[in-house]
Amino acid sequence: MEESDAFETKGNVHLRLLGGDLRKVTRFVLLVLAALLAAEFLQVLSAQEKVVTNPVAGNSAAIKEGASLFRANCSPCHGLNATGGGRGPDLSANRWTHGATDTDIFRTITQGVPGTEMPANGFEDSEVWAIVAYLRSFAPPKEIVSGDIAKGEKSFSSKGCPRCHMIKGRGGLLGPDLSRVGASRSAAYLMDSIRDPSKDLSDGMLDPNNQWGLPLVYDTVTVVTTSGQKIKGVAKNEDTFSVQLLDTDQNLQFFAKKDLRQVIHERKSLMPAYSEQVLSADALRDLVAYLQSLRGD
Amino acid sequence: MRRTALRVVVFLGLLTSASSQVSYQRVLDAAREPQNWLTYSGRYAGWRYSGLDQINAASASRLAMQWVFQVGDLGSFETSPIVVDGVLYGTGQNDRAFALDARTGRAIWRYQRNLPDKIQPCCGMVNRGFAILGDRLFMATLDAHVIALDTKTGNVVWDVTAADYRQGYTFTVAPLAVKNQVIVGASGGEYGIRGFVDAYDAATGQRTWRFETVPGPGQPGHETWAGDSWKTGGAPAWLTGTYDPELDLIFWPTGNPSPVNYGGDRHGDNLYSDCMLALDADTGELKWYFQFTPHDVHDYDSTEIPVLIDADWAGQPRKLLIQANRNGFLYVLDRTNGKFLSAKAYGPVTWAKAIGPDGKPVINAAAVPSATGTQVCPGASGLTNWFSPSYDPGTKLLYVATSTECDIFTEAAQSYRAGHDFIGSVVVPDPIVRPSGALKALDPLTGAEKWEFKYFSSPHGGGLSTAGDVVFAGDSDGNFIALHARTGQELWHVQLGAAIYSTAVSYQVDGKQYVVIPAGSALFAFAVF
Repeated sequence: MEESDAFETKGNVHLRLLGGDLRKVTRFVLLVLAALLAAEFLQVLSAQEKVVTNPVAGNSAAIKEGASLFRANCSPCHGLNATGGGRGPDLSANRWTHGATDTDIFRTITQGVPGTEMPANGFEDSEVWAIVAYLRSFAPPKEIVSGDIAKGEKSFSSKGCPRCHMIKGRGGLLGPDLSRVGASRSAAYLMDSIRDPSKDLSDGMLDPNNQWGLPLVYDTVTVVTTSGQKIKGVAKNEDTFSVQLLDTDQNLQFFAKKDLRQVIHERKSLMPAYSEQVLSADALRDLVAYLQSLRGD
Repeated sequence: MRRTALRVVVFLGLLTSASSQVSYQRVLDAAREPQNWLTYSGRYAGWRYSGLDQINAASASRLAMQWVFQVGDLGSFETSPIVVDGVLYGTGQNDRAFALDARTGRAIWRYQRNLPDKIQPCCGMVNRGFAILGDRLFMATLDAHVIALDTKTGNVVWDVTAADYRQGYTFTVAPLAVKNQVIVGASGGEYGIRGFVDAYDAATGQRTWRFETVPGPGQPGHETWAGDSWKTGGAPAWLTGTYDPELDLIFWPTGNPSPVNYGGDRHGDNLYSDCMLALDADTGELKWYFQFTPHDVHDYDSTEIPVLIDADWAGQPRKLLIQANRNGFLYVLDRTNGKFLSAKAYGPVTWAKAIGPDGKPVINAAAVPSATGTQVCPGASGLTNWFSPSYDPGTKLLYVATSTECDIFTEAAQSYRAGHDFIGSVVVPDPIVRPSGALKALDPLTGAEKWEFKYFSSPHGGGLSTAGDVVFAGDSDGNFIALHARTGQELWHVQLGAAIYSTAVSYQVDGKQYVVIPAGSALFAFAVF
């Protein structure tokens, strides 16, 4: 399905003009102007986005329609029951990274989120409200992970995680960058990923020229050369004739398949499973609390 | 520009004593002029086979790029060009079209349809090509029009509305020109349309007949739809059919019933979805039909190209119709009467346990969409799909691009709203096994596999066989590949930088054989020195 990207938002345009003008004035004028324009902006906002509550909130027919629309359009990234999928965050936990009001969620759905994988969507307004009604229909999450963020950060380092994972520009290259993992993964997903990393392999690069294609995943690939040498790593890319590997020493190595005896896709993560012997239940909670605090801000 | 066009005209005059007009007789006898490519599949029998042999098993390793034509648009490029006497005619994304000097790739004209905003193709703003007859090219457009363009200028000669695009009707099909008519079939099976196959007078654009693929009240087959479900029953007809001039029958395949993956509101066999239709070429009257997948809930469109082969069957010469169906079975039918002769799975299939002696599937009740999700093979995009198969009369093999994808089908009901998608269930790829694919060489009569060439990813490009014992194929990772027709051994390949969503054609100009393939936003031409 094609999606429309032509969505006008006068409120945002207004804000952008404001930003441009600000650089040209003194701090004093800045403050006065900002105050005046903010007031005007609020007025514009209230005119533009007057509908701050969902007209079909709590309506069971709308929730049903929203569930169906969600399944068909959103679940491939956000999971079948909105509990988070490979690419999209958990939407069932009442944690909203891009604004928690109905209007915010409406805007996030229709306009997408620049800089993330969330695209703009061409739904009718009534469909968006149905989806919002559905997302509001979940019971509050049973368990909120409460742990010690500082302790979690410490064990992130002591358990060797930075060897493979990067956070805000520091760390290794082999596994996914975790700088905003707290905004894109549920606590349950993070716990699974630590205890059983192979349960769901994260997506790597998606080829924009292959619209029906599937992304490669963080899979362990071992190539066996004709001389019998084995090289293990993560495939950054692969096709019928070649494979581009980031090996376990984090060096890029490229191979023509005709020069290889075998390419083994293990369909499991290179990351070791952190069992309870290695990471206690308490330590896991601390670590997950730390990871959940990483929201890209 | 004008000078180039003049030169082409002069050149055409020198090349052939016949007029550059493409008479119906020339299309009928397309096999006699292998230097040209006159229909979507190359000839009426749907073989996608070239009689040229300059590129052969010995020379293929010397294939080199001759020219590249940039369409200037994005999306999947699914055209299969027509080539006549040194001029190549193709269509592109967003209903663009072009005519090229087939030796240099230089454009003679370009056409771009001014499309309305709210077009709703399920699967991209694609078009699969022209039909040609006389001095006109015929194109079926995304806003559900059929148009005729002048071959020399690209000017619109006529433009007729076939259906209302606001109701979800679109065209992506390359038309088929038969006698004085242009045949097209509707797309829109994801929007609850009521499908049809149409014929238009090539001279005037006037509609000569319509066959509705979902029978209305009082028509035979209407009883196969519960309640009012027929009104939004789908059964589109979105790929080009084939034609048998002796029987004067058009074989036009149909797609899924709507909603695609939910059958709870449309109990019954849902005729004529997922069928092969044999239509009288002059009247559109239904002579016979065969339904491959009754009451489909897996999106197993049966729109794949029907391949017409005359061969001995159980010791008797017979006129056969072969189809490598999206549902995973290779079917053999008697094309004189639609009689089922055999079906054999040509890849992993779980939705049916077998095809019974009556041609009907023995359904696997454990492999239907469920509330918690059921893994089904093949997945919704099928064991094969729109990309063409190829039949080589030399090797007597059928080449079919196949996918190993299995999907998880999770059931969800959906109510119809005009102009909105009407799918009914969620389909996601099996997360455990990354799907791959292959080009398979099959015995078309027995389904026996002679060889396969494995692809890393599920393919979206088909096969072209040639008299040079070379089969051309393209994979989804951008490789255009030449394979030995008898062994499947790779002879040559090139990386084109974008997934291949179509199938190659071949032609000859000035004594040089070319093979062209679309990839990304460009058409690439190759030849050997």
